[in-house]
Amino acid sequence: MNSTVSLLAVLIVSVATVTIAINGLRLSRTTGDFYVASRTVPPWWNASAIGGEYLSAASFLGIAGLIVVSGQDGLWFPIGYTAGYLMLLLFVAAPLRRSRAYTIPDFAQIRFGSMPLRRLTSFLVIVICWLYIVPQLHGAALTLGISTGLPGWMGAALVMGIVCMTVLAGGMRSITFVQAFQYWLKLAALAIPTVFLLLHLDLQGQSATLGGAIFDVEAQQTTAKGLYYNISLLVALLFGTLGLPHVLVRFYTNPDGPSARKTTAIVLGLLTLFYLFPTMLGILGRAYTPELASSGNADATVLLLPGRIIGGTAGDALTAIIVGGAFAAFLSTSSGLVVSLAGAISQDLFQGTVRGFRIATVMATAVPLLLALGTNTFALAGAIGSVFAFTASTICPLLLLGIWWRGLTSTGAVAGLVTGALSCGSALVLAAVLPTTQGSFHDMVSQPAAWSVPLAFLVMIAVSLGTKDRIPSRVDAVLARLHVPEQSHDRNG
Amino acid sequence: MLNIPRKLNPDAADAFYVRSLIRSQFRLAISVALGFLLLLIGLAVIGAAWPQIQEIRLATIPLPWWLLGVGVYPMILLSAFLFNRAAARNEQQYRSIVEQ
Repeated sequence: MNSTVSLLAVLIVSVATVTIAINGLRLSRTTGDFYVASRTVPPWWNASAIGGEYLSAASFLGIAGLIVVSGQDGLWFPIGYTAGYLMLLLFVAAPLRRSRAYTIPDFAQIRFGSMPLRRLTSFLVIVICWLYIVPQLHGAALTLGISTGLPGWMGAALVMGIVCMTVLAGGMRSITFVQAFQYWLKLAALAIPTVFLLLHLDLQGQSATLGGAIFDVEAQQTTAKGLYYNISLLVALLFGTLGLPHVLVRFYTNPDGPSARKTTAIVLGLLTLFYLFPTMLGILGRAYTPELASSGNADATVLLLPGRIIGGTAGDALTAIIVGGAFAAFLSTSSGLVVSLAGAISQDLFQGTVRGFRIATVMATAVPLLLALGTNTFALAGAIGSVFAFTASTICPLLLLGIWWRGLTSTGAVAGLVTGALSCGSALVLAAVLPTTQGSFHDMVSQPAAWSVPLAFLVMIAVSLGTKDRIPSRVDAVLARLHVPEQSHDRNG
Repeated sequence: MLNIPRKLNPDAADAFYVRSLIRSQFRLAISVALGFLLLLIGLAVIGAAWPQIQEIRLATIPLPWWLLGVGVYPMILLSAFLFNRAAARNEQQYRSIVEQ
């Protein structure tokens, strides 16, 4: 494979990102500007930005790889990622927008007026962001290694270096335009190669599915994960999405509750469109790169397919398009996470000064980079699944009960968050330490959402019922603000 | 940052209307979520209980792949569309009561 074209694609995406970020510095810089901009950002534009930030390495590379490895079971992942936004729409979108919280710790403070709870939430947000960035860096290492032959750590260092620079410059985050553009870039970077691959196979008279044979193979070699694993994974994905820190911040850009709902519905349409392509590439992968399933390198499927099916210069060109799109995915998701992370660290450690934000940004990029370099690349989609399980066991019950149940007390919230974080966290650590065995116990600890999410909810509810006298007196006013439509109590939103 | 609504002690009638708005929005969200989850569970159960479904093929691709890879998504979009309409109607209803 000719690596120069791919390297060029990485450079173009990197330079474009830095350039737009530095120029964006003039356009908007403060949360105030961000807020003002919300008046002029139409919902579909905002929705593209949310899609751009959300579609990470796990979606871009991981899903096709998963379909190659686990076949039909792999299809549940994109369903979970998309349906997670449906849950967000149903339970969180409009009330959260109306709360006027900019971050999850802000919401905790508005709802409960409790500083200890705010600090605990900030801590959890920091952990979640770090864990979420690490797979992005593994994806970058894999992509650079496969497409150019350079050592993988350079890919991770490149992504974190660019993210650190752009966030320090103050651009990137505040510009809805950049993230919106990233969505369409990622879509094109998968759609164009998919269409060309299918056309090429059609012209050659070859079948994209080897005449359906690839689906028979699956029936023989069952790598199926079992019912518990699939259900637990779905719980994690469905309820993990609505607690993702970098997703929430985007909802602030909607002018009011109804537009937050409209935006989320458009996001669902954009995700539906996007996930068609990793699914098709996964099917092609089962036919043309089946050996990746057992090599432990299935995440490379999308990168290797053009060379395998078309080859030559055309194959190199298509690979370069995919590599460029992949780097766009790593950069946009990581920078969204780093901004959320730096915001949380600086707010609670450095009292929100500008210098504090800069130090926090360096901390926010250095820690996950060290984590990524110190750990092995493991399946991207699976690693992200663990992060979703952790979010679903902590932030999700806090948001859902905080928005819909007036009886939730800050003591109950703290107890539930600690229970969820400890049970889910220790299970995931245990799963990483234990030798991989095919067994129900290993499934229980490696995909804990099915029991840790209900546990966190139960503890939160039980402790709140036990501390009824601690229900904040202003709870009715806060709940009214979350649910009452804008025009009737505050015409200016 | 904490910009609490002006009426810190809303009168009893107002509080009642707000509570019933919250209750009706919650019931709506729960029923859409349950409906969608039942659909997913149904798909999983059909796949597990009726393995011969793999033999039903469209353009060489088995029916379950079509259902999970393509068919679920229009259902998600339909759920979202119906929810948005109903949620807006609940708010409209609240507004028409309160602003009388």
